[in-house]
Amino acid sequence: MLPHLDAAYRFARWLAGAGAGSGDADDIVQDAFLRAFRAFDSLRGGDVKAWLFTIVRNCHATAVQQRQRRGAVPLAEEHLETMRPVVEDAATDPESVTAAAEERRTLARLVSALPEEHREVLLLREMEDMSYREIAQVTQVPIGTVMSRLARARATLRGKWLEQSAGEPRAVR
Amino acid sequence: MQCAEALRVQAYFDGEVDALAALDVERHAEHCPECRVLLEELTATRARMRSQLEFPGAPAQLRTSIQRLLDAETGAARRAAPRARFGWSGLPLWLGGFAAAGAALSAAVLLFLVAPAATGPLLDDLVSAHVRSLMPLHLTDVVSTDRHTVKPWFAGQADVSPVVADFADQGYRLVGGRADYFDHQRVAAVVYQHGAHIINVFAFASGRQPLPQYTSRSGYHIACWKLGNLQYCAISDTGWDELQALTRLLRAAGSADLPRQ
Ligand SMILES: [Zn+2]
Repeated sequence: MLPHLDAAYRFARWLAGAGAGSGDADDIVQDAFLRAFRAFDSLRGGDVKAWLFTIVRNCHATAVQQRQRRGAVPLAEEHLETMRPVVEDAATDPESVTAAAEERRTLARLVSALPEEHREVLLLREMEDMSYREIAQVTQVPIGTVMSRLARARATLRGKWLEQSAGEPRAVR
Repeated sequence: MQCAEALRVQAYFDGEVDALAALDVERHAEHCPECRVLLEELTATRARMRSQLEFPGAPAQLRTSIQRLLDAETGAARRAAPRARFGWSGLPLWLGGFAAAGAALSAAVLLFLVAPAATGPLLDDLVSAHVRSLMPLHLTDVVSTDRHTVKPWFAGQADVSPVVADFADQGYRLVGGRADYFDHQRVAAVVYQHGAHIINVFAFASGRQPLPQYTSRSGYHIACWKLGNLQYCAISDTGWDELQALTRLLRAAGSADLPRQ
């Protein structure tokens, strides 16, 4: 029984980038649970999920730093190229590519392409249903910053979505 | 240009405003087409994200490996527990008690259910002292990679004489020493550098509140141990493994230094 494991994993997948190998998220979450276990005596009541997410986020940051030190960070464009949606259709058969699947992919790609500080705030709010206060705790910024980042993230996503819909009519092939 | 009320409307949408403010926002939206559109967009974006960004849960394999990892942690701490008699009071007592209740279950349950032990303001002092030391010009009072320079320096500056050693070969370069003051005493700080990270190793007279062996505060890892009559606390933003490696070196060096009785 590992409470919040699914949520922590989901968060880590998004932090690592939707297209990053799932192995990255595995490592981050495992590292986070170990740290959480070792540090839990510094937790005084409070919000366990936010606390755990804070650790997940720190582990992600550490992983990124280590990758940078090894010089293995892909360029932004390459990174985008590798951003594949999480919900993949294994079939190459064009018939199976439904409009809904296409939409899901598009949305996943657009969310992935948001700047990380916007993406994490948006996901914590919409997917994890965290309060501003919890998000502020996890991302270690003031609540006012959470609010403005959230607004920016939503506006950007909305704009990109409209752009996408207008530019590439998503007809069923 | 966006309506000045946009952030408040968003907060309303997110359920972050009280009833009175909610009424206010609703009244505003009645007369502000822009904010009405905003509310619609917020609703649509949320609906789309929640219906289309489904993610699979954690793989069973990950769950198993974490479970095993935490069980191993519990076991390791339990095996180490008897040493508490010899003054390693930093070892968490709770582990012994809960380990008896069944290690497999306890690791996971403990993580989230046990009320935390009182760690006291001493750890906060440690973190502040560490952060303070990272400010420009605050890191060291005596700069030397030579332990024969640093160690005698403490004699006049701090109330204790800590273990000082250089572990440059192992990746931990001795940077120097500093005298700090907290917990009503002069504290010796030995400064090491590991890669881009600074590690402060504080030493002060033990016999005060027990400290956790490993803990984290404000993003810094802290390892505490006792040696002789001194309490040591190493703190840094390095990873756990890096911090533990240094504490192992220091413990070994310190044990060799202790007068035989
Ligand atoms: Zn308005």
